Amino acid sequence: MIELYAIARHPGPPLPDLAQLRAVPSNGLAALCGPAADEGETTEEALWRHEEIVEALMLDRDLLPVRYGTRLADEQAAADAVAERRGELLAALEHVRGAVELSLRVRARSPGRAPELHALRSLARDQVERPGRDEHELLRAAYLVDRDAVERFSEEVARLQDANPELALLLTGPWPPYSFSQR
Amino acid sequence: MSSSIAGRDVALVDLVDRLLAGGVVIAGDITLSVADIDLVHVSLRALVSSVPSLEARGAMPRMGDSL
Amino acid sequence: MTDKILHLPPDLDLFASERPRLDNALTRRIGADPENLERGLAQLVLTVVELLRQLMERQALRRIDAGGLTPEQEERLGQTFLELSRRMDELKSEFGLDDEDLNLNLGPLGNLL
Repeated sequence: MIELYAIARHPGPPLPDLAQLRAVPSNGLAALCGPAADEGETTEEALWRHEEIVEALMLDRDLLPVRYGTRLADEQAAADAVAERRGELLAALEHVRGAVELSLRVRARSPGRAPELHALRSLARDQVERPGRDEHELLRAAYLVDRDAVERFSEEVARLQDANPELALLLTGPWPPYSFSQR
Repeated sequence: MSSSIAGRDVALVDLVDRLLAGGVVIAGDITLSVADIDLVHVSLRALVSSVPSLEARGAMPRMGDSL
Repeated sequence: MTDKILHLPPDLDLFASERPRLDNALTRRIGADPENLERGLAQLVLTVVELLRQLMERQALRRIDAGGLTPEQEERLGQTFLELSRRMDELKSEFGLDDEDLNLNLGPLGNLL
């Protein structure tokens, strides 16, 4: 069994020397994968380890991260899966070219409205904004931001925080573009 | 002011949201068996067909294990 | 591991309550409020199990009718479905659910089972 980490253009730069990574080519794309480890629990450590691999790959190439725990029988299955969706994968890769994902969450002690987000949207290429999951979470959002716009974006969030002292804004990233990989 | 929650702890929620609910979803196939007899082949693209008819057409390769 | 924080709120306590929900998400345990939640969850799970059981039973009968199974295989199938049916009855009884409880109404699509 193999574990699938990400999908990228092929040919591409050499792979990092990690987790026995291999690039399985498929007509201009590649499935970046490695041997699947024994099925363990989904622990924090396992998630961070997986994330480290995806981020190492992202250092020198655009990629679409694959959902955690995606296992396939063998490399042929991976090549087939990629071939089947070639068009949409190429389009998604183009959409995320040179960009990273930033996560913004807004919480408050009392129920209320999320702050005005125009400024953030104007700094992003794309966004996904959703209402919170509980009464104290006002907003869950993901922003697709050019790699070199991350600092400006962070500064804008800091400004937003200052303007809304009763709220708590949490910005994390840069993440691989998990929220922008599927259309 | 700030509590002792490590940055990594706080970021973990964002990580979990992404890894488990984001990213490209590669469909797999599973085969439902009873008493070691394959009965139902289910594709995550919601195509449900019976194994014999698939075999008759020149079966798709089975990627999953029997449940 | 590089730090992922780009902006921390002054009041981080508001994010402290996430830990239990996160633990549940990772280990798939059921959270607080056991009684209602557990029964509701059991209802959902058993409905899906019942759906699969009926689906497979129907399929098994088709296979038997079509021939192509050895008498041994047919016998094994029959026995197994008998067992599955008994086990479902046990589970339903354990959670205080009857056949009507295990049916999902899908609105305009009618009932699931």
